[in-house]
Amino acid sequence: MATLERMDWYDIARTTNWTPKYVQEDELFPPELSGTMGIPLEKWESYDEPFKQSYPEYVKVQREKDAGAYSVKAALERSRIYETADPGWISVLKAHYGAIAREEYHASQSEARMARFGKAPGQRNMATLGMMDEIRHGQIQLFFPHEHVSKDRQFDWAHKAMDTNEWAAIAARHMFDDIFAARNATEIGLMLTFAFETGFTNMQFLGLAADAAEAGDWTFSSLISSIQTDESRHAQIGGPLIPILVANGKKAEAQKLVDIALWRSWKLFSVLTGPIMDYYTPLEDRKLSFKEFMHEWIVTQFERALIDVGLERPWYWDQLLDEIEWQHHGMHIGVWFWRPTVWWNPAAGASPEERAWLEEKYPGWNATFGTVWDVITENIVKGDMAHTYPETLPVVCNMCQLPVNATPGPAWRVRDMPHMHNGRLYHFCSEPCKWVFEQEPSRYEGHLSIVDRFLAGQIQPMDLGGALKYMGLAPGEIGDDAHNYAWAHAAHGERLKKAS
Amino acid sequence: MSQLNVNNMVGPIMRQGALAKAVFEAAEVDNPGKKILVEDKVAYVRIQTEDEMILRQETIEEMLGKPFRINQLEVDMASFAGRIETNADHVRFYYTKHL
Repeated sequence: MATLERMDWYDIARTTNWTPKYVQEDELFPPELSGTMGIPLEKWESYDEPFKQSYPEYVKVQREKDAGAYSVKAALERSRIYETADPGWISVLKAHYGAIAREEYHASQSEARMARFGKAPGQRNMATLGMMDEIRHGQIQLFFPHEHVSKDRQFDWAHKAMDTNEWAAIAARHMFDDIFAARNATEIGLMLTFAFETGFTNMQFLGLAADAAEAGDWTFSSLISSIQTDESRHAQIGGPLIPILVANGKKAEAQKLVDIALWRSWKLFSVLTGPIMDYYTPLEDRKLSFKEFMHEWIVTQFERALIDVGLERPWYWDQLLDEIEWQHHGMHIGVWFWRPTVWWNPAAGASPEERAWLEEKYPGWNATFGTVWDVITENIVKGDMAHTYPETLPVVCNMCQLPVNATPGPAWRVRDMPHMHNGRLYHFCSEPCKWVFEQEPSRYEGHLSIVDRFLAGQIQPMDLGGALKYMGLAPGEIGDDAHNYAWAHAAHGERLKKAS
Repeated sequence: MSQLNVNNMVGPIMRQGALAKAVFEAAEVDNPGKKILVEDKVAYVRIQTEDEMILRQETIEEMLGKPFRINQLEVDMASFAGRIETNADHVRFYYTKHL
């Protein structure tokens, strides 16, 4: 018997809306879960997904993808990447898995919410596949690091990080909860799939795959680029919602959701992806700088597509372009300085050769961020390690949950954006972080940053030991310099040579 | 630098491998008269052209030298520039507005 081609039956098969007789429409699709915005059911039915895939096709293609990723892992299992790779690269793996793996399950739950509560049949169909994609991403990114747990407890944080109050985990959770875990079907479509997945995931899963290939870590390169092939399909869930919202007078709402998600993604990537690309990845393996990857994926590709689907560039666009030049350098100093409080070993990336590369990629780096590394270098060489650790707490932003910081040196422009709300003083690192808060204060007002918790006496004893205990960091897990400070002695030698 | 977004490049970004090579060769055949640009980043390859790109199942199949269904493009397509339209026997990448 001849079978119909997919396109001959697809549209009919996924037209699954009906008129409910036994319940009200709002009981079937509660507005707070569906994100109805007052738009009638039939208007959502004009949703036309651009990336069509049937369930049998999906299973076949996914099987092929998994067979590829797992066979690369199996073939390279004896390559001893853990034993032979640069310690900076091992830190890339640890930071990635801890920040990402468990959040994939949250993403799966969010896709499931779209699959059940989306009012557009096509959205529900695409999200059903997206839900299974994200389960795959969660499982595979827990399975791959697991082989290293017996050798290095920090790899256990692939599974553990999101169950702790470690500060970077708090920042990641706050952001991921905001843009998908605690959002309705329409918001998830715009914030998770459109803003985050067509934009930022390319940075972490393809930009980093390019670095991984250079570093000879084909297992990781193949894994994350394979994950991104799922993203390239289900990231298309959000796009078709935009014309529906625009046609029904909700363009401003759509724009706001995309603007919030994009800014929040940027801030998290400035602390996670920026340092690993520009400092942890061994110099000879850096394909492009973080800034160059941001230009490739976010400016050239994402922002161009944003305009094509009928939205505008975010109001803070100029500030974003400006921050791409410097924000992650300050975040990196913070992570390295507070290194006992992370589950990986930060690589300083401040050897003479690396500093020359940074100066080339970010002209002015030596005269600004470089001066901080000068002091750190001197203290290490003098054996004054106490001064290479912090004595105080940073001021942490009440939106992105990251330390407020900016470019050091003569152009010092660190700023705090204070904001009084219901008798509580909030601190923000930037106008956009403050703006996000102001859009829906009740959503954010109750949250305490790690520093707020410290000052409220929730972390006892009030010292580093107490903080590490609160964050769940046990001996053998707390971070230290990835290269045991060898770079500092090299940098010092170089300076002596220049001086003589 | 802020003008980077003023571009009209569309097309798939493929993981490195045999399919990427076949897709590039098919892009040249299926888009006559258009200049196809390839940017090799080792782990991934950008295959792009201005405004619109068509990729046909039968052309990719011919270049690959083995049976190929157009939906299998997804196995190695990690991202794409522009917007996408999937059809029974071809895929189209495009922008609606030319900048």
